[in-house]
Amino acid sequence: MFVPTFVFLATFIYYPLCKGVVVAFQNYNMFDLTNVHFIGFKNFADVISDKNTSFWKVFLNTIEWTFFSLLLQFLLGFVLALTLRKPFRGRGIYTGLVFYTWALSGFAIGLIWSWLFNGQAGLVNDLLIRFHVIEKPIGFLSDPRYAMMSVIATNVWYGVPFFGIMLLAALQSVPNDLYEAAIIDGAGAARRLFSVTIPYIKPTIVSTLLLRTMWIVNFPDIIYAMTNGGPVNRTNILSTLMINKVFRQYDYGQGAAIGVIIMTLLGVYSVIYLQVAAKKDGT
Amino acid sequence: MGVHMKTALKSLSVLFLLVAFAMMPLYSQGSKETVAPKGEEKVTLTFVEVLTSPSRTKQLQDIIADYEKLHPNITINLISPPYEQADNKLTMMLNSNQELDIVEVRDHTIKQFVNNKKIIDLTPYLEKWDEYKDLLPLTVEAAKTVDNTPYLLPQFFYIKGLFVRTDVLAKYGITEMPKTLDEMYADAKNITGKVAGQYGYGFRGKGSPFKISDLLILANVPNISKDNIYRTDDGEFSFNTPEAKKSLTAYKDLFEKAAPSDSVNWGFNEQVNGFISGTTPFLVQDPDTVSMIGASLDASQYTVIPMPVGKSGKAYLDYGFAGLGIPTSSKHPDEAWDFISYVVSAGVNAKFCKEYGPLPVHASTYQTDPFFSSGVYKAWETEMSQPDTYVFVKYPLESAKYPAWAQTEEPSMQAFVLGQTQVDDLVGQWETYWK
Repeated sequence: MFVPTFVFLATFIYYPLCKGVVVAFQNYNMFDLTNVHFIGFKNFADVISDKNTSFWKVFLNTIEWTFFSLLLQFLLGFVLALTLRKPFRGRGIYTGLVFYTWALSGFAIGLIWSWLFNGQAGLVNDLLIRFHVIEKPIGFLSDPRYAMMSVIATNVWYGVPFFGIMLLAALQSVPNDLYEAAIIDGAGAARRLFSVTIPYIKPTIVSTLLLRTMWIVNFPDIIYAMTNGGPVNRTNILSTLMINKVFRQYDYGQGAAIGVIIMTLLGVYSVIYLQVAAKKDGT
Repeated sequence: MGVHMKTALKSLSVLFLLVAFAMMPLYSQGSKETVAPKGEEKVTLTFVEVLTSPSRTKQLQDIIADYEKLHPNITINLISPPYEQADNKLTMMLNSNQELDIVEVRDHTIKQFVNNKKIIDLTPYLEKWDEYKDLLPLTVEAAKTVDNTPYLLPQFFYIKGLFVRTDVLAKYGITEMPKTLDEMYADAKNITGKVAGQYGYGFRGKGSPFKISDLLILANVPNISKDNIYRTDDGEFSFNTPEAKKSLTAYKDLFEKAAPSDSVNWGFNEQVNGFISGTTPFLVQDPDTVSMIGASLDASQYTVIPMPVGKSGKAYLDYGFAGLGIPTSSKHPDEAWDFISYVVSAGVNAKFCKEYGPLPVHASTYQTDPFFSSGVYKAWETEMSQPDTYVFVKYPLESAKYPAWAQTEEPSMQAFVLGQTQVDDLVGQWETYWK
C-alpha cells in the first residue's frame, strides 16, 4: 500500500534532495563541467565570507522580510477571519474577492506591483501626491530606505488570504456553547477573544505560523520580480541570493550550499519553535 | 471483486501511471533522421537560438524557409526558448548531449562551451569557405576569442553608440551634438529640471550596467590595453588611475544631477522607455535598439552619433557579438555548416541585420550597401573606420572571474552612486576582485 507513495516521494523529493546536498560539496559550475569533484566545505566558506555580498546582511534581510510579512499577514488575516465568521449579506462574494490574491502567481504580482510602485509614474506615488502626503515622487524600489518595506507590503497583500482561510476554518470549529458559557459568566468581547477563541484555535495558529514562516523564507518570486535583491542588496534574501548564484553566476555548487544553509536554519527553527509551543501548551 | 483484488489493482494502476510519467522524457526526443522513400536522404537539423525576440524569430523562420526551398532534402527545426532563460536552456541541452546541429553562441557563453567541449572547431570549414576572406578582421578576431581558434562564426556585432533625441534637445536650444563626454555631461545636466520630469541621461543601473559605465568612465584614461579593458598598457588596474577616479566621481555626479533617482534600478527596457518618452534624451546603446526605437519614434526625432571621446581623446568600445556554432553532439556537421555559411553569407547577413538592427560582419557589406553607412548607421560606420579615435578593447571573457563580475559590480556601483561608498573603497574592492 505504501509502495506507490514511497516511490513517488523517493523519486521526486528525496532523490533530488540528496543530489542537491551532494552538489553543495562539489565545485559544480557551468564554466568547468568536465572537472566536477568534491571540495569539502569550500562552497559554504565562499558564500559566507563573500565580501561583495555580505552574507550577514542577506541573513538579516531574510529575518526582516519574514518577520514583518508574517506579523502583518497574520494580524490582517485574523481580523479578516473574525469579520467573515458571522454571516452577512454578500459574504460569499466578498470572501471570493478577498481570497483571490492567493490564487495569483508571485512573479506576476511582483511585476504588477513594481509598476504600482514606479518611482516616476506609479499609482502609489500619484495617490500620495494627490492626497498631499508627499510632494515629490518617491523611488520606492530604487531607494534603499523604501525598497524593503515596499516588497513586504506586496507580500502582505498576497499572503493575507492564507491566514484568513485557515483561521476562519478554525474559528468556525469553536463550539458555540463555550461562548454562551462565557457570556453567562459576564465576559466581554475582548475577554471572549483572548480567553476562549485564541486558546481554542491555538494548534491551528501554531501550525499555520510555522508553515507560513517556511514558505515566506523560501519565497523569492516577489522580490525577484520587483527588485531582484537590489538596490545595493537591500532586498536580497537567502533564496534570491541562491537564484542569482545559479542563474547569473552559473555556480551550482554555491547555490546548493545556500540551499543547504536555508534547510538547516529552517530545520533548527522548526524544532525549537515546536518545543516552545508544546511547552506553553503542556504546563 | 474482493477487497484485496481492488486494492491490488489500484496500487498497480498507480504504479503504472508513475512509470509512464517517469518515462515521459523518452517521448520528447529531438529530431531524428528519416529516410525518404526514394531519392536523396532527408536530413533534419535542430537549431537553437538564444537571442529570442518575436520579430527576430520571424526573420529567422523566413531565412530558414528560403534555405529549405534551395535544399529540399533538408528540414530545419528552430527552437526558440524565451530570452531570459535561453542561455541556461541551451547550456542544459548541450550538457545533456541532446542532438543539436546549430547553436547560437554569444561572447559570454563561448568560453564555457569550449571548456566543456561542447562545440567543434570550425577551422576546416572556414578554410574552404569562399567568403572567408570577405569577413572583417574584427569578425575573424571575434571568432577566435577562445584559444585563438574559431569555435563560432560571428553573425552580429553590438557596438555602443549614443542615441540622441534631437527634438527634445532643440526644445532647450541645444542644436550641436556633443563631441566629448564633458560636453555630453554638461548638456545632460543643463536640461535636467528645466521642466518637471525632464532629465538628461538614461542611466543604466541594473543588468550588467558595467558594459555602459566602463566606456564612459575609462574613456578618460589614456592607455587602456586593447586585450583587457581592465588593465592599462603598464599593467595597472584601469580604475586605479587618477584619471579613472576623477571620472568615477564625474559619473556619480552625472547620476545625481542628470538622471532620475529611480534609474539606479533601470535595466534595458527602462532605458529605452526613458528615451522614447523623452525623459532621458541621451542613451548609450547597441544598434539592435534602432528597430525598437524606430517603431515608436519618427526618424526626424532622433539620431545616433559616435560615442563622445573622453579626455584621452579616444573612445573605448567593446564589441559584443553573437554567432553560430556546431555542437560536438551533431550527427550532421557538414549540413549544419552548409546552413551556417548560408545564413552568414554576405547577402543574407546584410538583409538580416537590416531588419534586426546590429552590425553585419562582412567588409563588402559596408562597401556596397549604403544602408550601413547612412542615416543613423553613419555613427557606427565612423566608429569602425577610425581606429585611432575609436579604439576596440576586449573584456576578459576568458577569465574564470568574468561570469560573476556582473553580480559583483552592480551592487557596488549602486552603493557608490547612492553615496554609500567612497571612490577609493570602490576601486579597492574592484581591484581585489580582479587580482
